[in-house]
Amino acid sequence: MTAALAVRNLGRDHGGGQAPALDGLNLDVPAGSCLALVGPSGSGKTTALRLVAGLEVPDRGDVLLDGRSVVALPPERRGVSMVFQRPLLFPHLDVLDNVAFSARVAGASRRAARAAAAPFLDLVQMGGYTTRRPGQLSGGQEQRVALARALAARPRVLLLDEAFTGLDVALREDMHELLHQLRAVLEPTVVLVTHDHAEAAALADSVAVLSGGRLLQHGDAGRIYTRPASVTVSRLLGGRNEVPGVVVGGEHRSALGRLRLPTDVAVPDGPAVLLVRQEAVVVTGPDAPGADAAGTVLAVRAAGARRALTVEVVSPGGAAVQVHAETSPGQVFTRGERVGLRLPSSAVSAVPPEDAGTEEPEIADRRTADAGRMPRTHRVASPAVPDAGVRPDAPGAPRRRNHHGDHGT
Amino acid sequence: MTGGRRAGGQPGGRAGAVLVRGSLLLWFLLPLVPLVLWAAAERWSAPAVLPQRWGTAGWSAAAEAGAAPAFARSLLLGAAVAAIATPAGALAARALAHGLVHRSRLVSALLLAPVALPPFAVVMGLNVLLLRARVPALVGVVAVLVVAALPYTTYVLRVAYAGYDTSYEEEARLLGATPRAVWWRVRLPLLAPALAGAAFLAFLVGWSDYIVTVLIGGGRLVTYPLLIASAASGVGNEAVVAVLSLTSLLPPLALLLLAGASGLRGRGGRGRPSPAAAAAPAREVVVR
Repeated sequence: MTAALAVRNLGRDHGGGQAPALDGLNLDVPAGSCLALVGPSGSGKTTALRLVAGLEVPDRGDVLLDGRSVVALPPERRGVSMVFQRPLLFPHLDVLDNVAFSARVAGASRRAARAAAAPFLDLVQMGGYTTRRPGQLSGGQEQRVALARALAARPRVLLLDEAFTGLDVALREDMHELLHQLRAVLEPTVVLVTHDHAEAAALADSVAVLSGGRLLQHGDAGRIYTRPASVTVSRLLGGRNEVPGVVVGGEHRSALGRLRLPTDVAVPDGPAVLLVRQEAVVVTGPDAPGADAAGTVLAVRAAGARRALTVEVVSPGGAAVQVHAETSPGQVFTRGERVGLRLPSSAVSAVPPEDAGTEEPEIADRRTADAGRMPRTHRVASPAVPDAGVRPDAPGAPRRRNHHGDHGT
Repeated sequence: MTGGRRAGGQPGGRAGAVLVRGSLLLWFLLPLVPLVLWAAAERWSAPAVLPQRWGTAGWSAAAEAGAAPAFARSLLLGAAVAAIATPAGALAARALAHGLVHRSRLVSALLLAPVALPPFAVVMGLNVLLLRARVPALVGVVAVLVVAALPYTTYVLRVAYAGYDTSYEEEARLLGATPRAVWWRVRLPLLAPALAGAAFLAFLVGWSDYIVTVLIGGGRLVTYPLLIASAASGVGNEAVVAVLSLTSLLPPLALLLLAGASGLRGRGGRGRPSPAAAAAPAREVVVR
C-alpha cells in the first residue's frame, strides 16, 4: 500500500513572466514516513502537493513512486489521496457512501463498497455516523470522515493540504493524535502541507522549508529546529533569536560573549548570526552558576501556560542585543528584573548573515543565497540582521510577534 | 415580514408570521375558488352566490373538445423544449461561469434578450421567415420556444455553476474516479437540483405557450393553451374553461411536488440551490 515518494527537479511556472510557483524541488520521502512542507503563503508548498497528486502538470521535473515516474499518469491512476483544508464530502452521499466512493468507482457493488468502507469509518471513530449526511456533522467530524475516505482508497501516498488548519486547537490536537494512530496501523507515506511549524514538528519525521517556490532546507524534524540552514529558515520555523557576531575557531563572539558552537555546526570564520530557539533558552537567576549571559527583562508576555520573555543583554562594550526566551510554568519574572540566560550548546547554531544583496555572490552556501532572493515582504517582516539593538517597539518587531501568534488561530 | 421573522421567538412574532403566511396562501388560492365552482357547475347565473345546478357537463364538454390529445401535445411540447433547452442552457452557463467566452457580457445579454423582447413582435416576422425556409411548423415551434426558454435555463444554471466547487471533482479524481465517473457520480448529482429547476422552467415555457404556437404553428398544432383560449373566446363555455384551466395546473404542480420531494431527500447538503428557489421565477412564465 505504501510507497517511497521522490520528487526530482520539479518546477511549475505561473506564466506571465512571474517567478515560478515552484522551482527545482528535490525531495525524498521514504515509504511509511511523514514529510511536512512548511512555508509562508505563496511559497509553493500547495503547488508541490498538487503536482505530486497530478492535479497540475509540472513544467519541469519528475515525480517518482517507488522509483517509477507517475508524471504521465492522470490523478486517478497514481494511487495518491489528498485531504484538503475543507472536507469536501460529497453532499449527495451519506457518510458511509462518501467513504465507499473509491470502491464504488473501482467497480464494487454498493453493498460491497459500504462493507469495505465501514472499518475505515471505525478507524476514525466515526462508526456511529454511517447514515448521516455531511451537512449534519461538525467540522471536526467532517474532516475525520474525509480522512477515512482518503484512507479507504488505500493510497500509496497520503497528501494533507492544510487538512487541520480550519479546526480549533483542541480538535486539531485530536486530529494529530488520530494521525499518529493511523500511521501506526496503516503506515502510509504522508506528505502534509502546513504553515504551522508546530504542527510540522508534532506530526512529521522530516520537514522541508519552502519559500518563494524554492526549497530552503529539508531535514530531520528533530534537528531542523536546532540546525536551521539560514536565518530565513529559522524565522520560518518560528525561531526568534538572531544574534549577530563573528565566528572565530568554532566560537561565536557577540554581545552575549563567547559561545562554543556544537561540533556539527560547520561555519567558516567571519561574520555569523547565532541562532537559538526561544524554547531552548534557560532563564535563571542573575548570578546563577553556568549562566552564559545576564540581562534585563524588557517584556513579559503570556504564551499559553508559558511566558515569553524578552531580555536585553548589554555587552561590556555597550552593544545591546535582545534574547527571546520561554519560561516554564511557575517561573515568575517581572519587567526590569535582572536575569541570567543559559544557552545549551546543543541547541545553538550559527549561520552566515544574509542581509545585503551585495554580499550574495560571496556566500558559498547556495541555500543561503536562495534565501537572499526572498520577496521583499519577508525581509521587512523582521529587523535587519546587523542591527543588534532590536527594540520591541521597532517597526519589525510586532510583525514578527504576529507571525508567531498566527499559529494559535 | 422581516420584523415578524426577527422576532421569531416571541409569540406575537409567530402570530404575525402565521398571519402573513395565511394571507399569502389565501391570495394564491382565492382565484381558484370560482374555477373549482365553475368546473362542478351546470348552471350558475349572475345574481346567485353558488351554482344553481351541479354536474359534470363541463368535463364531458372539455373531453369532446379534444382536451386529452391537446393535453398530451402540450406535455410533449413542454418535454421537448425542456429536453433541448436544459442541456443547451447548461453548456452556455458553464462557458459563461468559467469565463470560456469572449465578450461574455454581450453573450449573456443576447441569451437573455428573448425575455426582454415582446414575443409577439419577434414571432410575427419569424413566422414568415420560417414558412419561406419551409421549416415544418412543429420544428419551428419547438425551435422558437427553445430560444424563449434558454434565458431561464441559462440563468438558473449559471448561478449553479458559479457556486459549483470544482474541488469536489479533484477530490473524486484522487479517489480513483475517471473523468467519466466524475461526471456521473459527482457533477451531475451536485448540479441535479439546478438542472431540475431549469428543466422545470423550460417545460413551463412549452407548456404554457400560446403566441408562438399560434403564429409559428399556424393553428395546426392544437395545444392545451390554444384549446383554453378558443373555449374562453366563446360565450357560455365557463364550465369548460374552468375544467381546462384547472387541469392545466396539474403538470406544473406535479413537477413541483416531485422536485420538492427529491429536494427533501437531499436536504443536508450545503451550497445546493433548492428547487423552490429555482422555481421562483416560474410564476412569471405562467403569467406570460
